[in-house]
Amino acid sequence: MSTSIPDTQAQVAPSSLAAKTPWRALLGRVDWPLALFLAAWFLAVVVPLLGVVVYSFFETKSFFTVYTPSLNTWASIFDSGRFEVILRTLRIAFTVTAVELVLAFAFSLWLAKGHASRTVKAMTLALMTVPFFLDLSSRTIIWRALLGENGPLIPLFIGIGLVEPGSAGILYSEWAVHFGMVIALFPTMMLPVYIAISLVDDALIDASNDLGASPWQTLTGVIIPLSLPGVIAGVLFTLGSAMAAWVEPSMLGGGFVNLLSNSIESAYSALRYPVLAALTTLIMLILGVLVLAFVLIGRRFGDLSSSFRILRS
Amino acid sequence: MNQHPRVHQRWSYWKGWPLLGKSVGALMLLLIYFPLFWLALMSISERPLSGIPFPLSLEHYAALWQDTRWIGPFGASLAMALLIGVLCAVCATYVGRALPLTRRPGRLMLLLVLPLFIPGMSMGAALFILTRTVLGLKLGFWSIAVGHFIWAFPFALLIIMVLTTRFDHRLIEAGADLGASKWQIFRDIELPLLRPGIVGATLFGFLLSFNEMLRTLFLRGTTETMPVWNWIMASSQQSQVPIIFALTTLVLLVTLPLFLGLFWILFVRLERQ
Repeated sequence: MSTSIPDTQAQVAPSSLAAKTPWRALLGRVDWPLALFLAAWFLAVVVPLLGVVVYSFFETKSFFTVYTPSLNTWASIFDSGRFEVILRTLRIAFTVTAVELVLAFAFSLWLAKGHASRTVKAMTLALMTVPFFLDLSSRTIIWRALLGENGPLIPLFIGIGLVEPGSAGILYSEWAVHFGMVIALFPTMMLPVYIAISLVDDALIDASNDLGASPWQTLTGVIIPLSLPGVIAGVLFTLGSAMAAWVEPSMLGGGFVNLLSNSIESAYSALRYPVLAALTTLIMLILGVLVLAFVLIGRRFGDLSSSFRILRS
Repeated sequence: MNQHPRVHQRWSYWKGWPLLGKSVGALMLLLIYFPLFWLALMSISERPLSGIPFPLSLEHYAALWQDTRWIGPFGASLAMALLIGVLCAVCATYVGRALPLTRRPGRLMLLLVLPLFIPGMSMGAALFILTRTVLGLKLGFWSIAVGHFIWAFPFALLIIMVLTTRFDHRLIEAGADLGASKWQIFRDIELPLLRPGIVGATLFGFLLSFNEMLRTLFLRGTTETMPVWNWIMASSQQSQVPIIFALTTLVLLVTLPLFLGLFWILFVRLERQ
């Protein structure tokens, strides 16, 4: 009988058999196309990211990569004036993200919990999604003409006192770079924040109002803690894109506002690939530290996973 | 009455707060969309780089007609976008159906959406270092395709997963009980129900690939796609810049109707499911 054979064998070598039979059964059940796809995906996504970290410990000598591990490339990143670039990138990325957060939260709060109709909500979401798909350089080039010396917006800036009359306008300054990035990254921040706020249960807000809380108390005590995961997601997406921003600093900064992405580009054109690898690793490292920090902060203020549970159901 | 001091935050009852939130959004939408209209206006003005629209002329469209250098990059972009759109639809449909049935869908999902969290430039540089410098391969159309697929696939997968996670598996069991083959079940039961998601995945793949630049920049080899060509033209301040305005306007006229289709699927068709 077929069932008696595994029984006797199981008494002799239970562990090896237990490992063998389910393994064979598993082989039959494995979804091979899916497994192949996942393997290819791992090779194309995870392996390059790990490879770039390893590669950053090599260095270039007279246009050839020397495959002996050393810290020379990392050391060169932090002297040679690039440290300043790193600080500037972080400063601009954080400023832009903070501005985005205030703007996006205000607008999302109105859109989600104000009296916006369904059509307005759908239209706004559609309008916010379209820019993700449009070529950024041809949209940014327009601002170059408008912010430049003879641009039609310059009288307005002189009026606010942002620009001295007779100066070259705000093009090729940090102002212009900030301006371009705030416009380009607004949807990145707004969409996660909006989804998080719209998931806050209206009944909780009504209860808070009925119990006599002021709108400010409802905001800080109910809406902000409950929408925190979405806010953190928005902050991370925006910070990541802002740290790797390239079109805006190149077009609106005109070589005067050097960011990490410009260093990456010049390392690429100068064939200094270990430097390219180290700079890429640095960006991912900074992002990783931020992710960790935000997850820890999020855990202190509330259970992060609870909001994902809402999404799942 | 409750005399707690924080209750008397009169300023937070101000009627203007909602209006303020609304106008912030209106202003940002204006700033996002204004360049598009200005771009179209500039494409029919005589000196688009001056920032002043008048006098109007159609000479840049005529120049575009004369110039042939943009046709190569445009064709490459179009072919790439079509390829990525079809690949995204096929792979996302397969993976999206198989994933909910695996033992740890959450972890696999995280692996598959990982590229969403990595800046485009970093991903491009990482792929470049692996393929060009470590493996020594010749870059070109295929490497751009890999970079674009990695970028577009997570979006395509997410949109398919919206449908497959809500899918009623009793329908498949019923089909199997009635003697349908696996292919028949897929064609007659699953495909019609998943169709809006599949069309959405194709459109996402097409549009994301068509406008991708940061990854392409590292992976292009000697192949040029249109965003890269635009970028080179725009950043080098050549006299050909006016052509870009005309070209981008034409591309917008083609892409925007596609968006209307995409949003109709997202908000009307998927809502009905």
